[in-house]
Amino acid sequence: MPAANVAAQVRTSLATLKASDLQDAQIMEVLKLAHQLTDTMKLFFSSLDQSICQEFNYIADYISRTRDEIAALRPNDIKRERIPTAGAELEAVVTDTEKATEVIMSAAESVLCDEETDYDNYRANVEAKMMEIIESCSFQDLAGQRVSKVVGSLRHVEDRVARFAEVMGVRDADGGPQEETAEEKRNREQLLNGPAIGGPETSQDDIDAMFADAGGDAALDQGSIDSLFD
Amino acid sequence: MAVEMTMPILVVDDYKTMIRIIRNLLKQIGFENVDDAADGQEAFEKMQKNKYGLVISDWNMEPMTGYELLQKVRADEGLKSTPFIMVTAESKTENVVAAKKAGVNNYIVKPFNAGTLKSKMSAVLGDF
Repeated sequence: MPAANVAAQVRTSLATLKASDLQDAQIMEVLKLAHQLTDTMKLFFSSLDQSICQEFNYIADYISRTRDEIAALRPNDIKRERIPTAGAELEAVVTDTEKATEVIMSAAESVLCDEETDYDNYRANVEAKMMEIIESCSFQDLAGQRVSKVVGSLRHVEDRVARFAEVMGVRDADGGPQEETAEEKRNREQLLNGPAIGGPETSQDDIDAMFADAGGDAALDQGSIDSLFD
Repeated sequence: MAVEMTMPILVVDDYKTMIRIIRNLLKQIGFENVDDAADGQEAFEKMQKNKYGLVISDWNMEPMTGYELLQKVRADEGLKSTPFIMVTAESKTENVVAAKKAGVNNYIVKPFNAGTLKSKMSAVLGDF
């Protein structure tokens, strides 16, 4: 019997009981009322249990799904393999380019300082050094391959984090600006922006124009500054 | 006044390769009296001991940047007239403006060549 019907019956029985002389109330009437009340309470608590149960099931599913998605992220693989490998590849790029630069510069300096007066000997020296320079330029191929691997690792991490955020419905935290780190503070104060991608942001010609307009040691004219922002 | 080709020049950069490149370029231009420092702090200490006719400095260095070095040099009574050229990959307009306001004599963006270096040195020091 639906809870609403039971409640209606209880109200009716109570009204009947109130209308009658309670001293003459039959024990069966009281028992009937008690039974109806019990039924109503049962239904009420049963509905409560179901909603709580549903909530717990939802939470359990969510935790399970989160655990699966975190596992799919393969955080240990990223931490133990991909990031350290990417770091090692970048360090190798730096080392390779340093070595190649050393060879190329030494060869060039050797040619510049060559005081050989015999033409054939001088030509042989120069050709040998030019070959060293050409050979050293192979670093570019290796560096390109290493950087490609790093880019691949970054894409892998990016894809997995993006999928995790999408599946879990993660949104960026609202609120004010994040606290600035000491490094960020120094970079901001010291204007450490680093090289621009795709060439200088301000060309040498534009810089020259600023210094030509302002003259040697003179302070930069506000008009020159303003023109840079037009 | 003619530029003294034997004048000492201080090159400040945290990359040895870049110091070597600038040394070679200066040598080709005709300047061979070149000293170097790996950051602004070392450069400032050297400047207090030795007199240089020109400072060529990178911007991005640890612990003291070229920008800080420029500000310290311009604030120092004995050093403030030392010609100072910034050679850097920092090419944002705000960097150029800040350096100019701090008193830099010229500004070269990397990468650059011997011709650019020579023309900026001429603009600062006079023809040579």
